[in-house]
Amino acid sequence: MGKTKKVVVVSDAFLLTAGIENLILELSGMLVDHVFDGSEKRLSEKIISKKPEFVIIDPECIKEILIPILRELSEESDIIVIGIVTKVTSQNIVSRFSHTLDKENNKFQLIECLQKIVGNQSDPLEDNEPTISKRETEILQNLALGLTNQEVADKLFLSVHTVMTHRKKITRKLGIKSISGLTVYALLNNIVDIREVERSV
Amino acid sequence: MLLEKQMKLADVIHHDYNLVPVINRFGIVLGFGDGSIESICNNKNIDIDFFLTILNAFHDPQLLDKEFLQSFSARLLIDYLRKTHNYYLAHKIPEIECLIVEMASESSDKKRSYELLQKFFEEYKNELIKHIDREETRVYPYVIELEEAIQNNSVSESLILRSNEYSITSYEEEHDNVEEKLTDLKNIIIKYLPPSKNQKNRFKLLKELTVLEKDLVDHARIEDLILVPKVELLEKSLTNN
Repeated sequence: MGKTKKVVVVSDAFLLTAGIENLILELSGMLVDHVFDGSEKRLSEKIISKKPEFVIIDPECIKEILIPILRELSEESDIIVIGIVTKVTSQNIVSRFSHTLDKENNKFQLIECLQKIVGNQSDPLEDNEPTISKRETEILQNLALGLTNQEVADKLFLSVHTVMTHRKKITRKLGIKSISGLTVYALLNNIVDIREVERSV
Repeated sequence: MLLEKQMKLADVIHHDYNLVPVINRFGIVLGFGDGSIESICNNKNIDIDFFLTILNAFHDPQLLDKEFLQSFSARLLIDYLRKTHNYYLAHKIPEIECLIVEMASESSDKKRSYELLQKFFEEYKNELIKHIDREETRVYPYVIELEEAIQNNSVSESLILRSNEYSITSYEEEHDNVEEKLTDLKNIIIKYLPPSKNQKNRFKLLKELTVLEKDLVDHARIEDLILVPKVELLEKSLTNN
């Protein structure tokens, strides 16, 4: 069994949401992590913070903000967005999704369709326990010592952007986002020494 | 299952044990007898509709009745939210703290790991306290004042000034940070804390954190989906006056 793939659903319609949840249960290693209302504020930000592999969206529930949301989600290269469509959904909307599921299909067709979408995606973390690379360890070490992104960048001759990209990768691999959480991890794994940390605080 | 007022409260608790802390916030403690929700609420002078709506929202997130909840006064909502804060600060957080201290004192070899955990939780606690304190001393009083001023048609200049100063919309963001640290903590315990012989306490700690997490998520949902839109509505009618 590989790593569980997280799915976030955006839908206001209960029957639809329940159907999607039921469908996801049929696929092993996938899990609906969260369901958002289309009316939620800062929706794309909230979706991204859940770190899902897949986002299933009912375009009906976010009519006006669909395009900005899809744009913001498309910037996250790790997230695959799937739209729920019907035969009467306008082509303009259908074409904005890289993958779609047809609301009118039966369960078997939907499972097949979803398996194709999921299978297309290669996940490098699937088999092995994620370990952080040498570079990431170095960055983690400096973050744990209390350095800011900018300071780490200066020290290691990297751009801030690169440091942030490494940080995102670390967070994704470890499941820890906050600096203090990362520090605990670094201490537990002897990446930094408690005396060094205390000295730097 | 939709919870309704003619149901016996005891049956409801049998059905969903997680509701115990919720009824507690309304002043109902275990040993409440065999009455229906309606009769117990009447005895305790609790607004039945509000009680049921909160209970249902907590029992099943999909049963959150947004429009109906927004029809209640901000005062009633805030009173409930304050009690929830008190449940965290006076009960849950100290319980978890005690548990971690106990774990640290029991183990000789993993002491250092537990001390790290303790420090991390301490930091989390301070963040939560700061967040709650800001809500209770700034946000809530402002909302109540806003509601009263509009009801009595006595909107003062200073209130308008304050409503311009900070809008309620900005305060939603803090909830994510509070939830984030808790997830980190759970991941540390599940994945990274070196295994110890005493799994019992660790299991208990994970359970407590999970219960707290669910409660916090529901609490934030009520604030974000009910309180914030309600205040936005009030703020709008303020500027229209």
